[in-house]
Amino acid sequence: MSPFLVRRLVRLVVVVLGVSLVTFAILHASGDPVSLMMPEAPEADRAVLRQALGLHDPLPVQFARFVGNTVTGNFGKSFFHHGQSASALVLERMPTTLLLTVLSMTLALMVALPVGIYSAVRRGRTVDQLATGTVFLGQSMPVFWTGIMLILLFGVQWRVLPVSGWDSWAAVLLPTATLSTFTAPLLLRIVRSSMLEVIGLDYVRTARAKGVSESLVIWRHALKNAALPLVTVTGLQFGLLLGGAVITETVFAIPGVGRLIVGAIRQLDFPVVQAGVFMLAMIVVSVNVMVDVLYLYLNPQIRIR
Amino acid sequence: MAVRPIPAGIAYADDSDRRASRSRTWRKLGRNPAAVLGVMILLGVVGAALAAPWITPHDPAKQSLIRRFTPPVWATGGNSAYPLGTDQVGRDVLSRIIHGARISLLVGVLAVVVSVLVGVTLGLVSGFLGGRIDTVIMTAVDITWSFPQILLALAFVAALGPSLVTVILVLGFTGWERYARVVRAEVLALREKDFIEAARAMGIGSARILARHILPNTFSSIVVLSTLQVAQAILQEAALSFLGVGSGRTYPTWGQMIALGRDFVSVAWWLPTFPGLAILATVLAINLVGDRLRDALDPRV
Amino acid sequence: MKRWCALALGVLALAGAASPAAAQAKDALVVALVSHAPTLDPHMHFERVGILVNINMFDSLLHKNRKLEYEPSLATSWKTLNDTTWEFKLRKGVKFHNGDLMTAEDVKFSFDRVLEPGKEKKKSPQYGNIRAIKEVRIVDADTIHLVTDKPFPLLLERLVFFPIVPKKHIEKVGDEAFGTTATVGTGPWKFVEWKRDQHIRLEAFDGHWRGKPAFKNLIIRNIPEVATQIAEIKTGGVDLIRNVSADLVPELKSHAQTYVSSAPILRVHYVELDMREAPFDKKAVRQAANYAVDKQAIIQKLMGGLGQQVATVVQPPTFGFEPEVKPFPYDPKKARELLAQAGYPNGVDITLHSAFVEFRPIFEAITQMLTEVGIRVNARMWDPGPAWNKFLQAEGKATNGYYGSWGNYSVFDADAVLHPLYHTEPGGWIGKWYTRVEGLDKLIDEGRSTLNQAQRKRTYSQIQKLIREETPGIFLFTQYDTLAISKRVDYAARGDEWLWLFDAKPKR
Repeated sequence: MSPFLVRRLVRLVVVVLGVSLVTFAILHASGDPVSLMMPEAPEADRAVLRQALGLHDPLPVQFARFVGNTVTGNFGKSFFHHGQSASALVLERMPTTLLLTVLSMTLALMVALPVGIYSAVRRGRTVDQLATGTVFLGQSMPVFWTGIMLILLFGVQWRVLPVSGWDSWAAVLLPTATLSTFTAPLLLRIVRSSMLEVIGLDYVRTARAKGVSESLVIWRHALKNAALPLVTVTGLQFGLLLGGAVITETVFAIPGVGRLIVGAIRQLDFPVVQAGVFMLAMIVVSVNVMVDVLYLYLNPQIRIR
Repeated sequence: MAVRPIPAGIAYADDSDRRASRSRTWRKLGRNPAAVLGVMILLGVVGAALAAPWITPHDPAKQSLIRRFTPPVWATGGNSAYPLGTDQVGRDVLSRIIHGARISLLVGVLAVVVSVLVGVTLGLVSGFLGGRIDTVIMTAVDITWSFPQILLALAFVAALGPSLVTVILVLGFTGWERYARVVRAEVLALREKDFIEAARAMGIGSARILARHILPNTFSSIVVLSTLQVAQAILQEAALSFLGVGSGRTYPTWGQMIALGRDFVSVAWWLPTFPGLAILATVLAINLVGDRLRDALDPRV
Repeated sequence: MKRWCALALGVLALAGAASPAAAQAKDALVVALVSHAPTLDPHMHFERVGILVNINMFDSLLHKNRKLEYEPSLATSWKTLNDTTWEFKLRKGVKFHNGDLMTAEDVKFSFDRVLEPGKEKKKSPQYGNIRAIKEVRIVDADTIHLVTDKPFPLLLERLVFFPIVPKKHIEKVGDEAFGTTATVGTGPWKFVEWKRDQHIRLEAFDGHWRGKPAFKNLIIRNIPEVATQIAEIKTGGVDLIRNVSADLVPELKSHAQTYVSSAPILRVHYVELDMREAPFDKKAVRQAANYAVDKQAIIQKLMGGLGQQVATVVQPPTFGFEPEVKPFPYDPKKARELLAQAGYPNGVDITLHSAFVEFRPIFEAITQMLTEVGIRVNARMWDPGPAWNKFLQAEGKATNGYYGSWGNYSVFDADAVLHPLYHTEPGGWIGKWYTRVEGLDKLIDEGRSTLNQAQRKRTYSQIQKLIREETPGIFLFTQYDTLAISKRVDYAARGDEWLWLFDAKPKR
C-alpha cells in the first residue's frame, strides 16, 4: 500500500503542476491583462503597471516564480479586484461550489439508486424504459436551459421556490436539482449494469434458493457490487460536475468559484485564474486519490466473498 | 493510475467469433423499441443536415424586420410561411434549425474525430510500449481530465477568438482521455495473448500487430464512446455559447440559438424552445442508441 | 454503514461552512445589476455599475436634478474668477457616515488623491477625467479654488461625479479597506456589508444633509443572467432592473407586478469605418453606407421606438449639438449610385466587427441592409473579452469597421464624445487608426480650450458640419435607458443613466 500511495501522491503533484503549466501557457497566450485594465492609457503608463505586476519578466522566470509562490500558497493579488489576495478570493467561494457539487451528487445518487435497481430488476419492461428515459431526458438538455426552465416553472409559474441567489436553503434546491440532472444518468447506468451483472450470478441464486428474501438479496449483495464502480465514477464525474457547476452558478447568481474563474478568464486576471484552477485541480485529483484508496480498501472484501 | 476492474473480457480468439457476435448485436438492437426510435430520430437529423440546402424553406440568414417575433403557425399571429415562427430579426426558425442540424452535427462529429485520433493513437502507443512513455501519456490523461473542461475551453476560445474551428479543436482536445484509457486497457489485456506472441514470433512488425489484431478489438469500445461523445460535444458547445464564446457567425448551432434566444423566453418562447427540443431529441436518440450499443458490445465501458 | 456516517458528517460540516446567508431585510429596495465593480472606492475604478452604487453612498460638489440641471450639492455656489480659476463655496455641517464633519481638507484630499501631484505614475483610472486641474487651493474653511492649466470648459460636468471622500478615515484605515469593508461617504446610504458576487447591502444614513431616504435598506444584488433578472422582478425578488431590452418592454409593461420607465440617454451608436483602406477610403462609399441603412426602421422595429436618429456622433442633449446638421435619409437607390460612381458597380466585400452583444440584432440588421445595396458584409460578433481586446489593440488589420456605442460617461458636452472618438491623442482607438479627417484634431482642440460658450458652440457647429460631410462613420442613433420597476416602488429613469435612488419612494 505505502509505495502505491507515495506514487499516487507524486502523481498528484505532477498533475497539478501540469494543470498549472497549461493554465499559465493559455493565459499568457490570451493577451495582455494590462491593456484590458487600462485600454485607453498610453503605452508608457501600461509599461509601468506591467513592471509592477511582474509581467515583463521572461516567461520561464514568471512560471518559476509562480511555482515557488504556490508552494507557499501565495498566488499574488488579483489584477481586477484591487488588492485582494487571489487565494483568499477563491477560498471564500470554494465551500459554496463544493456544497453545490456534493449536494447535487447526493441528489443524483438518491435518484439513480432506486431507479437503477428497479429498472434492472424489471429489466426490459416498459417501466424500465420509461424510468431510464426520464432520467436521460435530464441529461439531454444543456444545463443552462434546464436551469432556466426550472426557474420559470418553480420560480415564476408556481412561485414555490426562490428564483436565484444563495441566501436560504430553499434557494439551494433549484440549482442542486439542475446540476444533478447532469450526473444522474451516468450513475443510473452504472447502478443498472452492475445490478444486471450480479443478478444472474451463482451466489445470488444460491442465496435465493436458501430462501433469503428477494429484496434482501438485491439490497445487500447486488448493491455491494455496484458500490465499487459507483465510487469510481463519482470520482471521475467530479471534474465534469465542477464544469456544470460553473454554468449553474451563472444562471442562479450563486457566489461560487466557477463564476469567479469565468469572470477572471474574461478579464485576464491571471492570479485568480491560476489560483482557482489550481485549487479545483487539487480537489479533483485528491478526490480521485481518495477514490483509488477507497477502491483498494473495498476490493479485497469483494474478492473474498 | 489505479487498476480498474477488467472483468473476464470480451476477447476474441479469432475473427469468426467476432463476426458472429456482431450479428447478434444487430439483432439485439432491432428488438429494442427505444433503440429503434433513437435510430430513426438520428436518421432524420442526419438526413436534414445533409439535405439542408434543398429542404430549408427560407434562407436562414434572410432578415425581415416586419416579420420579427412571428409566433409558430398554430399560435395567434402565426404565419404558415414560418411554421416555427421567426426570431428577433425576422429569420425563419425552422430554416435555422435545419441548418443548425448541419453545423451542430458537424461540430460534434469533428470534435469526436479529433478526440478519437488523438486518444486512440496515444492509447495504443501507451499500452503497447509501456514504460516511461506510458507514464508520460497517462499523466497527460490525468492532467486533461483534472482540468475543469469548460474553463479550459473558455480560456482557449477567449485566447484565440470565436470561431467554429477553435470550438471544435477545444472540444476535441478535452475529450481524448477516455479513448486513450480504454484503448490502453484493451491493449494491456491483449498484449500477452497467445496469438499476439505468435505474430511477433513470426516477425510481424509492431505497427501491423497493432493495426490488424489489437485495434479491431477496441472498435466496439470506441464506437460506444464516440457515439456518446457526439452527444456530449453538442451539449458542451451549447454551454460555451451560453458563456458567450460561441462561434460568432451568422449560421448558428442549436446551442447558439438557445443561448441567443434565452433572454426572450418570456416573450418569444419558441426561440429557445425549438432548438432546445432539437438538441433534446438528438442527444436522447444518441444516448438511447449508444446505450444499447454499449449493452450489446461492451458493457464495461 | 460507518462510511456513510462519515460522509454525512462531512457534508454537514461543509454545509456549515457554506451556509446560505440570512434572508433579506424588510423595508428594503432591491436593485439588480449584472455585475459589481471590483471596489467600492469611487476613485479607483471606472465602471458604470460601480458608479451607480457610488452615487448613492457619496456626494460630489455638484449634483444634477431630474431635469439634468446643475444643483448645489457639497458646493453651495460656484463661479469663475478667471479663465483658469474656479471658486466653490462649500456646504456647512455635512456629516460623513462615521460622524466626522466634511471640511475643505477632505475636498482637497479627494482631488489630490486622484491627481497625485508630483507623482509620475497615477493610481486612479479617473485621472484622465480631471487631468486639467493643476491645483486645489484651500482659501478658507468654506472656500476652495480649483486652478486648471488651460481653460477647462468641462469642469462642472466632471464635478457632477467626483465623490468627496473622508481624509482622516482613509488615512486611518488605508485604501484597500476603504474600498472593501470600511467605505465611508456623505451620501444618503451607508455601507453595511459586501458579499462579493452576491450583494452590496446599504442602510439609510440618519445624518444625511438632504434628509433620510424613503427606504431604510438598499440592497444591490449581482445577477449576471438576464432571464434570471426578469424572473426575479416578476416574482418580487428584485424591485428594479436596468438595461431592459426593447423586446421585453411590452411584457413587463403589462405584467401585474411591474411597470417600465424609459428616458433618452447619451449613449450613441455608430459604425466606425476604416478610412485607411479600400473601399472606405473613398467618401462616396462611406456616404453610400449611410444611405443604405434604414435607421428609422431599426429604431421603430428593433428598439420599440426608443431611440433618436443623429446626424453625427454628437447627441442632441449635449452642449454644442448643432440641429442644423441633418441626418442621412434612407435612400438605397442613391447608395447604389454612389457605389457605382466610386468604382464598385458590382458591389464590394467587407468585414465588420462588433462586441456589442446586447445589440446583436441591430448589428445583424445593419449588415443585412448594407448587403442589400451591394456592400456585402462578413459580420463578426465577438465576446467582449481578452480576444476582442487583443483585436482592438492590434493595428486593426483586416477590418473595415466596427459597431459600438459611447456613453460620454454622462457628460453632456460635445467634447466628451468628439475627443475620445476622433482625436488622435491617446484615448481614441478610432482617432488613432481609423479617422483621417483633415483639420479635425485642431478644431477639437479649439473647442476645449476656451470658456467662451458662444465661441465653443460655433466651433462644434463647424466640427459637425465637417464630420457630416466627410462621413468617417455610419451614423446611427442614440438610445433610451429602460428600467423595469416593481409596482410597489415609485421611480423614474434619468437621462444621465444614473440610479439616484434617493428619489425612489414606496408606492401606496
